[in-house]
Amino acid sequence: MSLRTLSAAMLLAAIPAVCMAAEPPRRIVSLNLCVDQLLLQLVPNGRIASLTWLSRTEGDPQLLPLAFAVPVNHGGAEEVLAAHPDLVIAGRFTTGTTRRLLQSAGVPLLEIEPASDWEGIRRTTRQIAEAVHASARGEELIAAMDADLARLHSRQDRAPVRVIGWGGSGDDVPGRDTVFNTILEAAGAINLGARDKGPSSFDIEQVLLSHPQVLMRGATYASSPALRNRIAEHPALRAQGYRTLTYPEAVYGCAVPRAASLAVQLAKELDGLRGGSP
Amino acid sequence: MKRGTRLVMVMSAMLLVLAAASLATGRGGHLLSGPTDEAEARLLRLILWELRLPRLVLALLVGAALGLSGAVLQGLTRNPLAEPGLLGVSSGAALGAVIAIYTGLGFLWSLSIPLLGLAGAFGATALTLTLGGGGGVLVLILAGAAVSGLMLAGTALALNLAPNPYAAYEITQWMMGSLADRSWHEVLLAAPFVLAGSALLLSTGRGLDALSLGELQATSLGVDLARLRRRVLLGTALAVGAATAVTGAIGFIGLLAPHLVRARVGHQPGRVLWPAALCGALLLLAADLATRVVPLQPELKLGVLTALVGTPFFLWLVWRMKRVAP
Repeated sequence: MSLRTLSAAMLLAAIPAVCMAAEPPRRIVSLNLCVDQLLLQLVPNGRIASLTWLSRTEGDPQLLPLAFAVPVNHGGAEEVLAAHPDLVIAGRFTTGTTRRLLQSAGVPLLEIEPASDWEGIRRTTRQIAEAVHASARGEELIAAMDADLARLHSRQDRAPVRVIGWGGSGDDVPGRDTVFNTILEAAGAINLGARDKGPSSFDIEQVLLSHPQVLMRGATYASSPALRNRIAEHPALRAQGYRTLTYPEAVYGCAVPRAASLAVQLAKELDGLRGGSP
Repeated sequence: MKRGTRLVMVMSAMLLVLAAASLATGRGGHLLSGPTDEAEARLLRLILWELRLPRLVLALLVGAALGLSGAVLQGLTRNPLAEPGLLGVSSGAALGAVIAIYTGLGFLWSLSIPLLGLAGAFGATALTLTLGGGGGVLVLILAGAAVSGLMLAGTALALNLAPNPYAAYEITQWMMGSLADRSWHEVLLAAPFVLAGSALLLSTGRGLDALSLGELQATSLGVDLARLRRRVLLGTALAVGAATAVTGAIGFIGLLAPHLVRARVGHQPGRVLWPAALCGALLLLAADLATRVVPLQPELKLGVLTALVGTPFFLWLVWRMKRVAP
């Protein structure tokens, strides 16, 4: 990286810091589902101008009542500007058009680097909390997360459960370096998809041969029809009679402190299955 | 005829070998080296009976249907470029199936998937043959391209309006065509239609033979051309429509198979039908086997492979036609 690009990058990174130094932002727009989840926990609803439209269908079930009280956006550049935001928070892959438009309108844009482990979650939570002037609340969330993790750590003597996150279409099995994997490990499970780094691909034959004890089926838009709902009904899988857990797929991909309480919840559910197994 | 018989025997033998290889090959192939205990043996039986066998049967059925319908369409249109994919039949079937799957109809009543696939294929074939029939090689291919475009636009619209955004990803995958993770349910769903359609197509041999002399001659030989066309239309829609509804779009088998056998059995359309069906089954089985042998992650899609192999052949055919044509 040349000195010029480095300094340009530092300048870009500094923009939100400069802007937030003055007044706490009161019209925050989120362009990322995971940022939605965190914002709902960090600031009062009145300070959020809009969240992504996904927050109402794919978001954390616990935060849904809050999400419905906030307007939504569909990620369009024009739509974002019309909301007159004083801070826009987005994931890594903001479109060039949106970025240029926000820049020329003088709206600060904070882009969050993706994270997949607890340390990454602490980092991004602090980054966002600081940008919205809610650092104290951010630390509370992190403390709650660490307490959950400590509780989970104290019960690590139990036999791990072999789990595969198998949505049904076979080519989106979460592997290593995913939030899913981080949650599973904390809950005392072995993620069978972790042989690969990112998302990996399992056909039914491979699912059978990986000898899972539990199939975790991601629920996305569960009520509307998709092919993946069919494939999981395959006779070969039914014959094996795997225990199945359903999990909110999108939320299991979010690097937010709530991931720790999801892990606690999962550990309880796995305990239940363990108790019932021969 | 002797050469034809020998060809059929050779292809049958190859089919047996490939079928055995297909049962022995999978992404969890090592199990076949011998189960170690009772649980493993049960798992092996499950994989063979519920996964690899239905996959093999579907490959044979669908491959034969595609090869046969390609041969019949080439005979009817007297056009060496005719093929279910190029005439819009496959995309019509795909449109029907997509509508069934993403409106949720297919979950309420699973027969609706092949039935709507069939209806889509029927509509597309009828449209192409009406638009391009009797207009020469080029007009028919153009009509096929137009109908294909229309059907693809319809599919895109269905996806655009699908209540599940995940559907857009899924359907692009599905349109690539695959036999992976199919079950006996899909075989039972498609087989009656594919078999009925194939029987209808096989019965057109005599009519196609007469037609190869020209329409007037065929009529004077007592062939009812309108009836022949209806039979081809219905047979293609049944066979290709139902096949596509369970496998997604698989192109070029219908183009390749008849050409490969024609050199051996001669140019009489009626004689090409059975060998083309056999060759289609052989090609699809080989392609499906290749998708499992090629070490790619995720698995190479069947329709992608047939298109990669089929398109150069199509280009070669076009090039040859250009040279032969005045």
